[in-house]
Amino acid sequence: MVKIPRVWDRKNMILLKELTKTDFKLRYQGSVLGYLWAILRPLLMFAILYVVFSQILKFGDDIPHYPVYLLTGTVLWSFFSECTGQGIQAMVMRGDLIRKVSFPKYIVVVSSTLTAVINLCINILVVVIFALISGVSPSLSWLIVPMFIVELYALSLGISFLLGAINVKYRDVASIWEVLTQALFYTAPIIYPISMAAAMSPTAAKILLLNPISQVIQDVRYNLITKETVTTWNYIDNIWWKAVPIIIIVVLLVVGALYFRKKSKYFAEEV
Amino acid sequence: MKSAIKVTGLHKSFNLPNEKAAGLKQAIFNYLKGIKGYKKQKVLKGISFEIQPGEFVGIIGRNGSGKSTLLKLLAGIYVPDSGKVEIDGTLVPFIELGVGFNPELTGRENIYLNGALLGFSNKEMDAMYDEIVKFAELEDFMGQKLKNYSSGMQVRLAFSIAIRAKGDILILDEVLAVGDAEFQQKCNDYFASLHGNQTVVLVTHSMENVRKFCDRAILIEQGKIVKEGDPDEVADAYLKLWD
Repeated sequence: MVKIPRVWDRKNMILLKELTKTDFKLRYQGSVLGYLWAILRPLLMFAILYVVFSQILKFGDDIPHYPVYLLTGTVLWSFFSECTGQGIQAMVMRGDLIRKVSFPKYIVVVSSTLTAVINLCINILVVVIFALISGVSPSLSWLIVPMFIVELYALSLGISFLLGAINVKYRDVASIWEVLTQALFYTAPIIYPISMAAAMSPTAAKILLLNPISQVIQDVRYNLITKETVTTWNYIDNIWWKAVPIIIIVVLLVVGALYFRKKSKYFAEEV
Repeated sequence: MKSAIKVTGLHKSFNLPNEKAAGLKQAIFNYLKGIKGYKKQKVLKGISFEIQPGEFVGIIGRNGSGKSTLLKLLAGIYVPDSGKVEIDGTLVPFIELGVGFNPELTGRENIYLNGALLGFSNKEMDAMYDEIVKFAELEDFMGQKLKNYSSGMQVRLAFSIAIRAKGDILILDEVLAVGDAEFQQKCNDYFASLHGNQTVVLVTHSMENVRKFCDRAILIEQGKIVKEGDPDEVADAYLKLWD
């Protein structure tokens, strides 16, 4: 039987590294600003949102350090949308490889999302610098921020595996997801503070906080910027409801990984 | 001695979509109408053979006879419907030359990427690198992007990786004879030198190569083995397919 390599097999890691390096190198080939675009994109998005929502519509006047607050949300959102966008398309984009060589397919998905991870790391640095400039004092709770980023990455991977596997056969999935992310953007408190939703209807605010993306964004803001942030944990009373975002992520990741593994045997024929 | 490759009762079929079933809309439509949306095409119908270590075996057959599917099953790219493929040792498949080659990467980067795809570690690639470059005669171009290579140079590089890659079993799909006359001669010499030292499975349409290099040949027709044995006899049988 053809040897089935273990998940963390050294050879797989080398392939992962090579593919990620290639992706990373090629992404910004031929652009004058090159890699700078990775940082500029969320910053520019932030600038637009800031002018429209903070300056014109006067959102978030009651929140300390609102610009940092907004930037954190945009950076995390950019990561999520980039990660899933790349991850879902990965198998199709790398169809040439899948048809010609045999290797564990999850490597392609992971490598395509790692560029987003690298971008996020740099963007988080930008957020931290921005936070310090705007007068947020560093605290020990900054240290647990990576935990929430891992959580968001787990969510992105779960979605990428599940939808990426379906997308091999039904290419509509990637397009549907593109539209869906547009809608999802508004279900998370990125441009509007959750307090605004709470003022209208506390129940609505609670439902919004069940969204794992909202939970992560709010938790990062809570630990990074201000303890006044409303989080899933401090706003919802019932312990089971508090756990809903985590449950969603775990279920998506497990189901996604299992489904992907089951289908991956036939990717070479279908892609 | 244990066989390098042992194939028993291999069956493989594909679901070929009818018209345009590649879409969610059509899939739902077909499902509602009770249409299967695809046609089952049997490509391999019970293939069995063994290849001993050090053997040079040619697989021949007409277009669409199932050779490439068989090779992909050997390489583990496809999974069989039924039957077994047993491989002893590491298998290096070249279903196509230069898999993953990217025009924006340098020759050097492409070698390492290609190597990683074939399952070689960086260390193993380091050991092979000089030989590959030397065989390809591209010493002065390794820092250049692949897009600046002539097509002949690209094939030479890809081909050199293929034949310099150190694996127990080498699988080649119709990739002999690339480059100019001199390079071809070099490749021929190299293949001749492999004789007895390296297990090679070669899919080809060139009967000349079958007669020249192979210890044994297998003729496949419509998913079944119709003749197996002496390369000259099998090559003759192949040519008679059109009579």
